[in-house]
Amino acid sequence: MPGILKSLLKNKAFLLMVLPGAAWFIIFAYLPMFGTIIAFKDFRIHPGGFFKSVYESDWVGFKNFEFLFSTDDAYIITRNTILYNVGLIALGLVLAVTLAVVMNELLNKRLAKMYQTAMFMPYFLSWVIISYFVFSFLNVEKGVFNQILAYFGADPVSWYNETKYWPYFLILLGLWKSAGYGSVVYLAAIAGIDKSLYEAAMIDGASKWQQIKSITLPQLKPLMIILTVLNLGGIFRSDFGLFYQVTRDSGALYPVTNVIDTFVYRGLTIMGDMGMSTAAGLYQSFVGLILVLTANWAVRKIEKDYAVF
Amino acid sequence: MKSRKMMLTLAAMMLASTTALAGCGGNNEGGNANAPKNETNNTGGSAAGEANAGGEDEAKLDPAKLKVYMIGGPQRDLPQVQDEMNKYLTEKINATVDITMIDWGDYSKRMQVITTSGENFDIAFTSSWAFDYLPNATRGAFMPINDLLDKYGQGIKENLDPRFLSGSQIDGKNYAVPVNKELASQWVWRFNKQYVDKYKIDVTKIRTLEDMEPYLKQIKESEPADITPLAVPKGFKPYVPFDFLLGDEFPVGINLSDKEGKYVNILESAELKSSLATIRKYYQAGYLRKDVATLDGIDNIKTGKWFADREQTQPYADLGWSRSAGYDIVSNPMQDPVIFTGSATGAMHAISANSKNPERAMMFLNLLNTDPYLRNLINYGIEGTHYKKLSDNVIEDLPAMKDGFQMPGFALGNLFLTYLHKEDPADKWDAFKKFNDSAIVAPSFGFNFNPDPVKTEVASISAIVKEFYPSIMTGSVDPDEYLPKAIEKLKAAGLDKVIAEAQKQYDAWKAANGK
Amino acid sequence: MADLRESIPQGAAAMPSRRRKRDIGGISPLWNAVFSAAIGLFALSCVFPFLFIIIISLTDEKALAIDGFSIIPSKFSLEAYRFLMQSGQQMLQSFGVTVLVTVIGTILTLYLVSTYAYAISRKNFAQRRFFSFLAFFTMLFSGGLVPGYIVMTQFLHLRDTLWALILPSILNAFYIIVMRTFFATTVPDAIIESAKIDGASEFGIYTRIVLPISLPGIATIGLFSTLGFWNDWFNALLYIDSPNLIPLQTLLIRIQNNMDFVVTNSSKVVSYDIAATLPTETVRMAMVVLATLPIALAYPFFQKYFIQGLTIGSVKE
Repeated sequence: MPGILKSLLKNKAFLLMVLPGAAWFIIFAYLPMFGTIIAFKDFRIHPGGFFKSVYESDWVGFKNFEFLFSTDDAYIITRNTILYNVGLIALGLVLAVTLAVVMNELLNKRLAKMYQTAMFMPYFLSWVIISYFVFSFLNVEKGVFNQILAYFGADPVSWYNETKYWPYFLILLGLWKSAGYGSVVYLAAIAGIDKSLYEAAMIDGASKWQQIKSITLPQLKPLMIILTVLNLGGIFRSDFGLFYQVTRDSGALYPVTNVIDTFVYRGLTIMGDMGMSTAAGLYQSFVGLILVLTANWAVRKIEKDYAVF
Repeated sequence: MKSRKMMLTLAAMMLASTTALAGCGGNNEGGNANAPKNETNNTGGSAAGEANAGGEDEAKLDPAKLKVYMIGGPQRDLPQVQDEMNKYLTEKINATVDITMIDWGDYSKRMQVITTSGENFDIAFTSSWAFDYLPNATRGAFMPINDLLDKYGQGIKENLDPRFLSGSQIDGKNYAVPVNKELASQWVWRFNKQYVDKYKIDVTKIRTLEDMEPYLKQIKESEPADITPLAVPKGFKPYVPFDFLLGDEFPVGINLSDKEGKYVNILESAELKSSLATIRKYYQAGYLRKDVATLDGIDNIKTGKWFADREQTQPYADLGWSRSAGYDIVSNPMQDPVIFTGSATGAMHAISANSKNPERAMMFLNLLNTDPYLRNLINYGIEGTHYKKLSDNVIEDLPAMKDGFQMPGFALGNLFLTYLHKEDPADKWDAFKKFNDSAIVAPSFGFNFNPDPVKTEVASISAIVKEFYPSIMTGSVDPDEYLPKAIEKLKAAGLDKVIAEAQKQYDAWKAANGK
Repeated sequence: MADLRESIPQGAAAMPSRRRKRDIGGISPLWNAVFSAAIGLFALSCVFPFLFIIIISLTDEKALAIDGFSIIPSKFSLEAYRFLMQSGQQMLQSFGVTVLVTVIGTILTLYLVSTYAYAISRKNFAQRRFFSFLAFFTMLFSGGLVPGYIVMTQFLHLRDTLWALILPSILNAFYIIVMRTFFATTVPDAIIESAKIDGASEFGIYTRIVLPISLPGIATIGLFSTLGFWNDWFNALLYIDSPNLIPLQTLLIRIQNNMDFVVTNSSKVVSYDIAATLPTETVRMAMVVLATLPIALAYPFFQKYFIQGLTIGSVKE
């Protein structure tokens, strides 16, 4: 006990620094977590407020989770969710880092700034709007793609019914939309690298490529690892709009576009059951937690400083 | 969607009342024919008619403030009108109201949070299409009001078509006061009159999907390629005579011709099978858009490049459609009007389970459904400011109405009490009543299915339906191949279990109600 | 990948000549051209939809319905903007709310994030793992809508206030962890140690030494936070009733939700009104323009901190 007290006292400057943030987390994040109990209850409203309602509702164990696993689609949606996320996380990382590094090296700085501003634009467009543009490319009758095909004498393709193209479309669009946003962090990190490191390397006669390889990338490594670990936490969640709106909710594409979030949305529209939607969210979080804990544990083993916690 | 017909009025109201964007908004739908004779005058003070509040002596009532949530865009002049209402209400039932309007698109989500969190309020709008009545009543958000109705809501019981109250019961209890309005639902084919005239088509001969064939063919062959003969989006479903268990996006129902009342898998019905073969034929012939299965909406009204589509109707609908489109549209029914359970829950007002003043809330609702002065005040605002009277029950909007007070008439209480606009047919509300009287009543009218025991299966089935319905129902895929596939998948997800549960609940309900 | 490796000697060969001109050397002009073109193409694909959106927002609704998207519309129209400008007064008010919330929110966010992140970035902070986890855990689990609503309305009584728009999004574990990583990688331990020896307090070190050299990181979080507040519409949907507190995005989303309601539910029904002829698509695009342009113009303000690196050495001395 005195040991802890002493330690707290010794760290009081730091503790004061984290205090406001920690208080926020407790009030706005931890306090409401109480609500996840609903996932295990058959929620009913009782006069007397929310807490009374939760208290009075019956326990139902894991019944609210069953619908996630009860169809033949359970395997497909899990597979789709994981594969898309793995693809988006990995390729997104490569793309963001590449863009940041290359843009940093462009000789014309004004051009680089313009590019960077441009790449940020898709972030502002909602998936609904993007789905309009995708549709203008892919619609059967007047779509750009089919007109090109027609020009070469090929048969029109019914894009919204052909599953085989969509994994590529979705990954490409996902990358396209987030590239600008993702690369900002790395650009900032590069800007934060001490220039004297490069100066020293140049005195040793290192080429630009060697500098990138031996200075820039290693300096970015902690950030890459940490962001990847964080992303793993969201592996069971998907960008709903990408999979629902961009595909125009086309039934024929479900085998390659159905992910956990879209499945839950479609399943619960008729009933809007709070217990079941909370259960779905809890399931997604829980798997994310396991993955992050595992990944973090592994990172810790290899390089302690790169761990998230 | 059982809720479709509800949307009739909605479309207009919603845009008109949306935030401050009423500019393009045209006339408020609504208006009124049979304005009661005992007209109250503006000051309200001299109205002093007998309170409808169950004969209670209002002097004895403590003052009460009622928190009311209504659907629709927030209105600039609401505080002003509310003050006027409160003057009147204080005299009548010694109560004041505090009305909050929540926008159409936000209403369901917002009310869901408000009720779940146990926040205090007294009255809220509920319906089958926004802040859904059935699930929210089932999960305890509303107070059962049968006793209150008997005590303080006599006026409601007298004025309302009794089918509204019986149709909105859950396990014998009422949880909300329905708005008196159109009750039946009826699908029609709509036609672009331009082509009806050009080809001298007798639309009254077109009732079934099959009847359409020669005309669709004629249009397809004679008109340019950009005219869509059958202009429908992905929500299209061939008409089948079924009483649906959970709406038309869930494949369980009772055939209207089945006297036994057996819930069946609609996808296995002979009616649907033959319709699907027909629609497939139409699709292949190019009568529908090639990409129909992915079209959320179709701009046919806007472009005018269409021949036929389908819609739900109400009296004088053709007039409204034509006025809105800017060209003539005619229609012909696919079916006789039918009253389903959902029809009765198109617009209602519920009293919160947490209400501190349920009696006063019921008195207020009673007035909304019986008192023409209050009913028109909340709907059209203040005479001389928002509208002027042309005769006893016909009004004309003043500019202030358009700018600051556009309320959704059908969602505010007894619609038949409201004034008419001068362009409305004088017998409008009579036509509504006739429409309601002419309708046949579905076998399960009054039965509400509780999905709780099979909610896992309902959720799985709902998700699967969305995969197959748009493409199968629009003929985009071969039903011979995909229908069995869909049925197989639905069965694996527990469709038979849901049907059995529905049958069990329905039989119990029938026995309890002596049917 | 293969080309990249082959080209290294070339880049190296080009280096000496460039070294004199640029302090840190650069890639060869050839590679510069290749990269400029490649990224340029990508950047073009990013801007193009936005330019197109501007064009569509200026298209006549009926022409749009008939022709579909077209770079040169057959008929121009300002109807969409006219429609939105009917609520001009409200729009201006909402714009003000958004700016206010964004500025206050971002400043507070930067304060909270940077202090928290700095503390847990310091290796001599004994409880750093605990507080890292405390923050991280909230990225995965949330209590959901209703409990959060109860905290805001029943515990804090902040319904229908400006704080309801600011407080719920003021902190975010992602920002903290990114910021912590910035601190850990860009602030050399040596500087802090030497400052300590000089007798500086932890707060003094944080404000006078750490913050100035962490500007790129601060700017990044500032940018994310600004965008977050700018784009947030959900908090207002839950907590705000008064029209004078409604932010721009919420206002626009409401208009859009209402129009969607019409299109998906009832445009085909007896619309006794203008539902079917409303400029829905063009208005949607005009709304994107109105909501995005102001913030896109603010972007370069943050950008200058990402592009120009800074020399930490100068702080060291």
